[in-house]
Amino acid sequence: AEKWDMPMAYPATNFHSENAATFAACVTAGTGGEIEIVTHPGGSLFGGADIKRAVQTGQVPIGERLLSAHANENPLFGIDSIPFLATSFDDAVKLWTAAEPAIAEALDEQNLVLLYTVPWPPQGFYFNMEVNSVAAMKGVKFRAYNAATAKLAELTGMLPVQIEAAEISQAFATGVAQAMISSGATGYDSKLWENVSHFYEVDAWLPRNAVFVNKDTWAGLSDAAKTTLTDCAATAASDGLQKAKDYTQFTLDGLKSNGMQVLKPSEQLKSDLKAIGETMTSEWLASAGDKGKAIVDAYKSM
Amino acid sequence: MDAFGPVAIFLFTLFLLLGSGVWVGLALLGVAFVGMELFTSRPAGDAMITTIWAASSSWTLTALPLFIWMGEILYRTRLSEDMFRGLSPWMARLPGGLLHTNIVGCTVFAAVSGSSAATLSTVGRMSIPELRRRNYPERMVIGTLAGAATLGLMIPPSLTLIVYGVTINESITKLFMAGVVPGLVLASLFMGYVALYSKLSKAYRPDPEPAMSLAERLRNSRFLLPVIALIVVVIGSMYLGWATATEAAAIGVIGALILAAAQGSLTLKTFGESLMGATRTSAMIALILAGAAFLSLSMGFTGLPRALATWIGSLNLTAFELLMALLVFYIIIGCFLDGISSVVLTMAVVEPMIRQAGIDVIWFGIFIVVVVEMAQITPPIGFNLFVLQGMTRHEMNYIARAALPMFAIMVVMVFVLILWPELATWLPETMSRRGAG
Amino acid sequence: MKTLGRGLRRLLDGLYFAGGLIAAVCLVAILAIIVAQMVTRWTGLTFPGATSYAGYAMAAASFFAFAHALNRGAHIRVSVLLTALGPKRRWLELWCFAIGAALSWFFARYAIKAVYWSWKLKDVSQGQDATPLWIPQLAMAAGTVLLAIAMTDHLVRIVFLGEHGIKADTVDQSQGK
Ligand code: NA
Ligand code: NA
Repeated sequence: AEKWDMPMAYPATNFHSENAATFAACVTAGTGGEIEIVTHPGGSLFGGADIKRAVQTGQVPIGERLLSAHANENPLFGIDSIPFLATSFDDAVKLWTAAEPAIAEALDEQNLVLLYTVPWPPQGFYFNMEVNSVAAMKGVKFRAYNAATAKLAELTGMLPVQIEAAEISQAFATGVAQAMISSGATGYDSKLWENVSHFYEVDAWLPRNAVFVNKDTWAGLSDAAKTTLTDCAATAASDGLQKAKDYTQFTLDGLKSNGMQVLKPSEQLKSDLKAIGETMTSEWLASAGDKGKAIVDAYKSM
Repeated sequence: MDAFGPVAIFLFTLFLLLGSGVWVGLALLGVAFVGMELFTSRPAGDAMITTIWAASSSWTLTALPLFIWMGEILYRTRLSEDMFRGLSPWMARLPGGLLHTNIVGCTVFAAVSGSSAATLSTVGRMSIPELRRRNYPERMVIGTLAGAATLGLMIPPSLTLIVYGVTINESITKLFMAGVVPGLVLASLFMGYVALYSKLSKAYRPDPEPAMSLAERLRNSRFLLPVIALIVVVIGSMYLGWATATEAAAIGVIGALILAAAQGSLTLKTFGESLMGATRTSAMIALILAGAAFLSLSMGFTGLPRALATWIGSLNLTAFELLMALLVFYIIIGCFLDGISSVVLTMAVVEPMIRQAGIDVIWFGIFIVVVVEMAQITPPIGFNLFVLQGMTRHEMNYIARAALPMFAIMVVMVFVLILWPELATWLPETMSRRGAG
Repeated sequence: MKTLGRGLRRLLDGLYFAGGLIAAVCLVAILAIIVAQMVTRWTGLTFPGATSYAGYAMAAASFFAFAHALNRGAHIRVSVLLTALGPKRRWLELWCFAIGAALSWFFARYAIKAVYWSWKLKDVSQGQDATPLWIPQLAMAAGTVLLAIAMTDHLVRIVFLGEHGIKADTVDQSQGK
């Protein structure tokens, strides 16, 4: 029996981590113990930022990582995070169907075999005030954590401030930040209602966590083991999608019951954001080249 | 349990390397390497560098060298002298005298910094020379510093509580609130110990402070103004939203430079000395942190801490027994891992045990902090011992023995928390009720 | 021969000290970056990637100073046994520096390898700075190599001269009494 250590960035109770634990058990049982996957949630082995590199270079055989965090390496990895391109679970599935082959290929070039991906709940705006149009956002301090969110701040007239994940609640409590974009789940998990008043369900995008295996490790597997891994991965992908949907409603209800205003965006805000989404999509297309264009075209024709 | 073999090998290597005098950071690196080679099939060197690079290029770590630098600057000003001149007429009559400044200083500075190493370096740099000059017993000076500096972890802001909160999805604001009262209680326990010790020990005979009239005392208090101003500015910058907890350290350095310039003690020479001194001390701590990060990774690969925690979970203990078992468990692994690593490596297993036993997770956060604080002063791997050794050149065993009473007080603190859980839960609950209403 | 030896001595000591100076400059850089980040935020400007740059400066401030800190006795160790051995401590020092040199070279070897792989894999920072990671990691490689050279230097001196060259700052706050 071979032990596979699987680093994951999110806490053990997060639905992604629970889903991956089920996947690990499925593989361990399915291979009759030939491969025993041991999950290490909460960044307890490698932190999120290091997991992909660790799998790429064979430090661990398998791992899970937020794919769009690596958009600096290849714009394709950020396809799931283009604001207002795919704004529902159904659209996110379509977009992923169009994008998966190209992304699997890009990962393959990095010595990685893609097993499955699971989306996060849709991203919405957290604000410390009522906001009904993009004009109302002007000058608000907005937490930006990568190039795309910084661009979003620029286009909406907000001031991007860099706040590390661990400092979010303090930053809101002291006014260092006044707005951010994240899923309802993030706000629920970190109990953001203590410091933030409004959540707008703008469903900006649905980022994905990807689970991948080191390519050399993969090549050394028996065909039976490969089949087991692929089968378990397919189950994990569909179970994970369902969990993400269930969790979305659960967390939005949770935000509401804790006194937060959970609102649909006004028509004005919606159309303002749509225009921004078009700008950002065309900018993304300019950086992602023909492959990117092919994916977006395929998605739009679905 | 088949963990006995690995545990024995880890222990043997650790004591061999540390005991024979290999530099602490490198010794940890060596132990981690042996663990990786023996118990995993993974490439030890590559994994080591990944984790060391992540640990040493981290944004949150930047506060540590800045606070150390701030301490070095203040050490070269008249600030500490002035501070003691302002405090001594007031505190000289307390049983224990000026030794209380160690504890009060650490408590106040704990509200500025989130780590215990930063608290220790800054306060210790200022108080040790002054207390020595007044002939306070060296052991008490060292011991109270080692113990009280751990308050940096409990009084907000606190890195340990942030990591705990993120790991178990609990509100960091609530955890911070929960730490305030227990932090003050622990500080008073330390002060009570100093008072008691000063009465009972014959060797406790510091130089008497000159007697002063009330007017003189008040006049002398003006010497406290600069240090009070500095602290108010740094804490204020955080609560007014000018700076995050990490950035506050930069405000501290600027403030210290301004104070030094105002006092005329800022010359190119003192600036250079403070900078080089801070650079060396931070490098020393960074090498140990690098070794500790690799050791923590190695432990993670072997699954040892998790296996031990799982074993405790399998014993079907009552809530109180579980807490006692966890206390012993964390004290033992705290001897070999730094506090944050022991939280991260075990929480996935411990969290469900706690929730199932019906223990309040906010309260447990404070319990964990006390236990992690103990780990800072237990040999062979205790960060406060390392920092104090770097600062005073005392042997590690001397410092550890000096800190032992503080360790005992923290054990008492655990029982105080168990008996009066409201100490931790009252403030966050009051705050959230007001928030909801 | 003797002039060559003296030249080498001066070169090495110069290298260690230069490492310390670079580290000190990086410490000032951390301060400058964080202050710039705050000031830009207060004034409504932006400083993209500031937290990453501060992190790189942090790493450089640590790694570059390793060797300098060693020479000045800043890296701490448990010296109970060494003190107890008195004049016979040379053999134990030999063991310590041999282990120290071996571990430092191990450290340095993989630090260099990490730089190489970051370059080869075109690994870039995930923050707004999008810096190719091999650039800041060069500091780690250089600093660990410097530490390994210093360890070897002291080891050689113990073997041939009977004592290492670490001079601790005794003027600091050492031993009240
Ligand atoms: Na603190
Ligand atoms: Na310890």
